[in-house]
Amino acid sequence: MRIISILLMAFGLTGAMAQNKQILYGLKEVPQALMLNPGVDVPQKAHFGIPFFSQIHLNAGATGVTTFDIFGTSNVDINTRIRNKIFEMDANDFFTATQQLEIINFGWRNEKEIYFSGGVYQEFDFVTYFPKDLAILAWEGNRDYLDYQFDLGEVSATADLLTVYHFGANKQINKKWTVGARAKLYSSILSARSVNNSGTFVTRLSDQNGPNIYEHQVENADVKVQTSGITSLENSSVGKVIGRAFFGGNMGLGLDVGATYKINANWTASASLLDLGLIFHAKDVEQYHATGSYTLNGIELLFPPLGEGDEAIPYYSDLEDEIEREVPIDTINSSYSQWRPLKTNASVRYSFGKFLGGQECDCLNQGIEREQAVGLQYYSIVRPKGIQMAATLFYERRLWSFLQAKATYTVDPYSFYNIGLGASADFGKFNFYVAADNIVYYGNIAKAKSVSLQLGFNIKIAQE
Amino acid sequence: MEGSVIKQTPSQMKRNLLIPFFALLVSVLLFSCVKDTDFSQAENITLTPVVELDLIFFNLEASAFYDAIADTSILTVRDTTEIRFLDDSGTQESLKRAEFLFNFTNSIPRTFEVTFQFLDEMDVETYAASTSVAAGTELAPVLTQFIENVEGEDITQLTLANKVIVSVTIPSSDENLQGLLNLQSKTTYYLEIKERS
Repeated sequence: MRIISILLMAFGLTGAMAQNKQILYGLKEVPQALMLNPGVDVPQKAHFGIPFFSQIHLNAGATGVTTFDIFGTSNVDINTRIRNKIFEMDANDFFTATQQLEIINFGWRNEKEIYFSGGVYQEFDFVTYFPKDLAILAWEGNRDYLDYQFDLGEVSATADLLTVYHFGANKQINKKWTVGARAKLYSSILSARSVNNSGTFVTRLSDQNGPNIYEHQVENADVKVQTSGITSLENSSVGKVIGRAFFGGNMGLGLDVGATYKINANWTASASLLDLGLIFHAKDVEQYHATGSYTLNGIELLFPPLGEGDEAIPYYSDLEDEIEREVPIDTINSSYSQWRPLKTNASVRYSFGKFLGGQECDCLNQGIEREQAVGLQYYSIVRPKGIQMAATLFYERRLWSFLQAKATYTVDPYSFYNIGLGASADFGKFNFYVAADNIVYYGNIAKAKSVSLQLGFNIKIAQE
Repeated sequence: MEGSVIKQTPSQMKRNLLIPFFALLVSVLLFSCVKDTDFSQAENITLTPVVELDLIFFNLEASAFYDAIADTSILTVRDTTEIRFLDDSGTQESLKRAEFLFNFTNSIPRTFEVTFQFLDEMDVETYAASTSVAAGTELAPVLTQFIENVEGEDITQLTLANKVIVSVTIPSSDENLQGLLNLQSKTTYYLEIKERS
């Protein structure tokens, strides 16, 4: 119970959609915009993130429920509120939490005008769908749900802790196009997932010829849990886990690609694909796989004629053995591979207002810099039960030569009222940025279904 | 009187606006808070599932009550099964009430006394229940329903047990006795699962 309440609090408190950094996307004044689109237009000559402080990203969200819904002060009993929420939510509702910490991040432009960048970041990513049927079964029991098929396939969750090493290149190849790509090396520290499950559980009254009052049936169960890096945890030291954060874990490879296309003097389009990659779990792997069908009728007593000292029939152990035979839980140590959650970003941008730098149009050099821009962004992430999407309307403005600000309005699975604000300020070579969404809820975060925050410090060296 | 004109250069304006802007952003982030919530309510979260579960079943032929070889009646037959989940600490903590339903269908022309003795690991009886089963005939089997509701102090006793002995006693029998005593049974478990300190 304590765990449930802590999780509920964590979801409500820390919290746009996990990993959607709609404010930073396209905000080229922040060097980390390159992480969201390797093909972004890079203005600076070089950058170096302040180690451990160049990007701190926190995000948590839940569709369908807020902390306030459950823990808000109210005359209604908390158990009534939880029960109402269980029935209100459906199996496509989900809870997510993501945290990223950049350890190092750097980049420089070479003589051939290629902007190289690299770095290391750590990421924790968790998503679980709401297993509604199992929640009902736990909350209510099966008495009022005879003949109802509880869906075991609603169990769908993944959790990953990993370190990512990356290196990429970006170049404006002609007046219209800027393209970029980044290779990623993943080092998985811990990973656990249970996805693509199926099967049902049903309790029904037996027919007249049935052996007992009920039939408790598990039908076509196929439930799998894959873990890596977890079984050895019990016997290992903190040092070992930290070791895995470097190159000791399960390795994987990935790719980020992106491009920006200047349509004309006002319009720009961009798109990126992030984390197109796989992690190969080979070390310290343990998979559990339960499959089969079984009908439980209780225990049949046979009344065997027993003499003094004869052993009674071990009905209960026999039953347990039978269940284990019919629905075996296999423990498998074979390796498996796992796709990274693929993210897609896309945007169209209309720039207008005063020309920056006092020139009418510096089309030959860096293109067109205008004071203001509006646009649309699209974001998607591949999750176990399909693609989650978000759409963002943004307004970006250069407030002063050193300060760029962006406001966003995002529609995503969490809400239709997500307003975000971000700013990037350059004080000489020192760059600071902060972005937060669901800003209207900062007065009372308990009422927000999701919250996302990114901030960081960089050293930026401008182009001469 | 000459009016005074305050002139600001663009850069001064920037500075004047800069502080309020950052102050606003920082205060929004710093003073973000969680209001009107009471997390101590978590202590009151209680799951109250009601679980229906089959218990035991049997089919006793009338011939089970007569030893044809020794040519003697067997007036009582017994069998035992473990019910390991009953004395599980989770069950002990959470089970508030258990309602047993026993459905006997008897086509043997005899009444029966059936007892259910619940024993702990040391084979000490912690709870018992018994009932009479009405006599029936092969043409007209008779249904006897027995409901045993266990709660309060009794539930503590019941959850000390991890096995049940079922004894079926017939007043008399002979080699020609025909028919079948059938039992089907289930239990309704009323649970109350919450954080206990």
